[in-house]
Amino acid sequence: MWTCHASGLTFRVVLLSGLLINPTVQAGESRIRNRTISYVMTDLFWSVYQTEDARAECPKGFNDGPREQFQKLFPDYESLSVEETQLAQEIQTWHPNTEPDGFDFFEVEGELSWGLNLDGKVSANDFTHPDGTLGIDNEVYRAVGCIIGFRGPDGVEYIFQNKAILDEVYNRMMIELTEVDSLENDDSVVINLYRGMDRLLTDATGQKVTAGGTQRIDYRWGESLIRQFAGQIVDGVLITEPIAEMIMPWQNLSVPSIHVFRDARFQLDLSSEQASGVLAGYADVDTWYYQLIRNDSTHHLSNGQISGISLYKALRRFADAYPDPLTGENTAISTSLDVKMAQVFIVHRDSRAGE
Amino acid sequence: MSSLNQVALSLSAISFLACCSIAVGADEGLFAEAYRDVPMPEGFRVEASQEGPVFADASGMTLYKWPQHKLRNGYSGESPGSPACYEDVLTVTAGLMSPYPPGIRLPELDERKSCADLWKPVKADEGAQEVGEWTLVERRDGSRQWAYQEQPLYTSVKDQEPGDVLGGTRRRFGGDAPAKRVPVGPPSLHPPGFLIRSSFNGRMLATDRSESIYSYDGDTAESTSCFADCLAKWKPVLAPSLAREQGEWSLLERSPGERQWVFRGKPLYTHILDSGTWSQQGSDEPGWYNVFTQVADSYPSRFKPQHTMVGDVLADSDGKTIYIYHCGEDSQDQLGCDHPTETQVYRLAMCGAGDPERCLEYWPYVLASDNEQATNRTWSIVWIDPRTGRFAAAQQEDALRVWAYRDRPVYTFAGDSSPGDVHGGGTGEWRGQRNGLRAIMLRDDFFRGTL
Repeated sequence: MWTCHASGLTFRVVLLSGLLINPTVQAGESRIRNRTISYVMTDLFWSVYQTEDARAECPKGFNDGPREQFQKLFPDYESLSVEETQLAQEIQTWHPNTEPDGFDFFEVEGELSWGLNLDGKVSANDFTHPDGTLGIDNEVYRAVGCIIGFRGPDGVEYIFQNKAILDEVYNRMMIELTEVDSLENDDSVVINLYRGMDRLLTDATGQKVTAGGTQRIDYRWGESLIRQFAGQIVDGVLITEPIAEMIMPWQNLSVPSIHVFRDARFQLDLSSEQASGVLAGYADVDTWYYQLIRNDSTHHLSNGQISGISLYKALRRFADAYPDPLTGENTAISTSLDVKMAQVFIVHRDSRAGE
Repeated sequence: MSSLNQVALSLSAISFLACCSIAVGADEGLFAEAYRDVPMPEGFRVEASQEGPVFADASGMTLYKWPQHKLRNGYSGESPGSPACYEDVLTVTAGLMSPYPPGIRLPELDERKSCADLWKPVKADEGAQEVGEWTLVERRDGSRQWAYQEQPLYTSVKDQEPGDVLGGTRRRFGGDAPAKRVPVGPPSLHPPGFLIRSSFNGRMLATDRSESIYSYDGDTAESTSCFADCLAKWKPVLAPSLAREQGEWSLLERSPGERQWVFRGKPLYTHILDSGTWSQQGSDEPGWYNVFTQVADSYPSRFKPQHTMVGDVLADSDGKTIYIYHCGEDSQDQLGCDHPTETQVYRLAMCGAGDPERCLEYWPYVLASDNEQATNRTWSIVWIDPRTGRFAAAQQEDALRVWAYRDRPVYTFAGDSSPGDVHGGGTGEWRGQRNGLRAIMLRDDFFRGTL
């Protein structure tokens, strides 16, 4: 009888067996195995509270983007050089500053926002959640809420960052809830954050992710992303303790980038097949900005009327946490992401799927 | 195990050469990609290069084509049979890339070259006759230019020695990259169902669906040890019933009627668990290797592979990621701007807001120490004037002695503070493809080998 090579490969064969044997789940049956249930991210959007006509949050309208700003700055561009026009704008994009750029910036003026109360305080600058919760911290929304590219369903950021989650693997983030006794109420669960390394399980359209897929953990390149933190489940909602620093790999248009969130926490409605809610925390401002402009060229920013030059100044102006010890300027900004996840079986290096 | 070691090991078992191959590079002289003999006009030949076999003129200079490339607002490059690279010095942008409009004055017009200054059309003698896929196209002055598969042919002024491919590349580039010049050569000698991908590590064998191909240490041309459970992970690359052995390619009958392709004495497989078409995850399994028809020139000995969140990059001895600058102008002729002989206006804008001192601070050159020497044509040491970014004479005061990849200096990024950081990747216009910097990737599973 033929066997597969040397004994060194034995454990991998076991792993493979685990991967290929998808634990069968009957309809209505719990997907908790050994007090563990896991979810893989399928949707991720910046939390932007929108009214139908946008008048409540953006009474002055939407911001101009690079194309509109270029036309206003250089009406006689044909008499000018590349250095005086295109490169002058690119220099400001890639070497941004907080000096005024001569354009009015339209920030969100409404009172409502999605997100969480990150600092536990209720202050004049905070938003109110549509459910009435006070003290919502989401200053990224204040900056991007009146920029078309960040608004759904057609904004360029809204479309592309989510498309990349389906299409790519670099950003395959997942959570594993352990020590789970109930998805309804459990006063103590332990959550592991991993990056997966496999394609998502979808229906026949290839677009709708379904529960019950399998993911291996990326230990090779994703080890620095692994985190462990505590949480509790209250009335079917997972509420996690803040994660001191969470790195979120972010891919949009084939450039590897990251976001760095401090004090990040999940608040997710749980079911046996999916999890949905928000991921909120304080984003490092410079990392946030450079993620955006590295992933999106000025062309893509233009399609969403996103002026990187103007937006950077707003992000710095609205930054509300982690002051620089030398300058006193805040280096982080409160934010929130709408998250959806599908239940998945995580395959560990040393165990079978679902165990 | 490092990627480099894996490449070296994968070649260690090579024991014979194909009928039509020629030595390549100083480093890896034994291993060259075989090619299919095609009829050629007199005065041309085939040269080995880092990009595989290429056609060359009588002096050995590589021939390039400039295929049409769809850009955001139109096309650049040449449609078959129609030369578009002429002696006109273009003065304004073409507006092929949004959002900037056409008609803006191009930089340094007083010293700007024409397309034909930099890309010499391969002219045909008066009595030249078309041969096979070599045809003649007429330029607008009535002269005749050689074309291969109807694409007009050129040489690059950057190439100095036979086998140089400094003017262009067969690497995969994105839709928003400039319309690049591509080396032209005879078809690689492999059966249908395969393709060869140019990568930083060399010319890698893949299926025609771009799945990575592997071989196993324990196999031989006559026997395989991958049966039973092994086949749950590894899929033999099977040959059709009419397939015949040829050159470096042979066949292994796994079972009656089931024959597996063998290359250079090793049966070939794909890895079922590879997560995408460019994934090389299978090479993480002990004893399994990707298969190369030829490996790239080795990088300087003090550089090393570095694990990062985005894959394995090339890093300096401190683990700092190494980057290369890419640039192509938004002009109809899509001239390059990433070489020290070309305008530095774009690079200086991106690396230091136009200030050379800031460039040296943010994107320092990778300096070569006095005792380091280049050992191949791909990785060279050049002298650079730090104030201009142009080549300098060795004796010039303040000139920097720096490492260059394909004749272009390489850099590290001040924003990378720890080994494994790749915070500079994608910096610049069009995600670093047109006027910006990208990391040199050794394992690019996530981003599919795009330059």
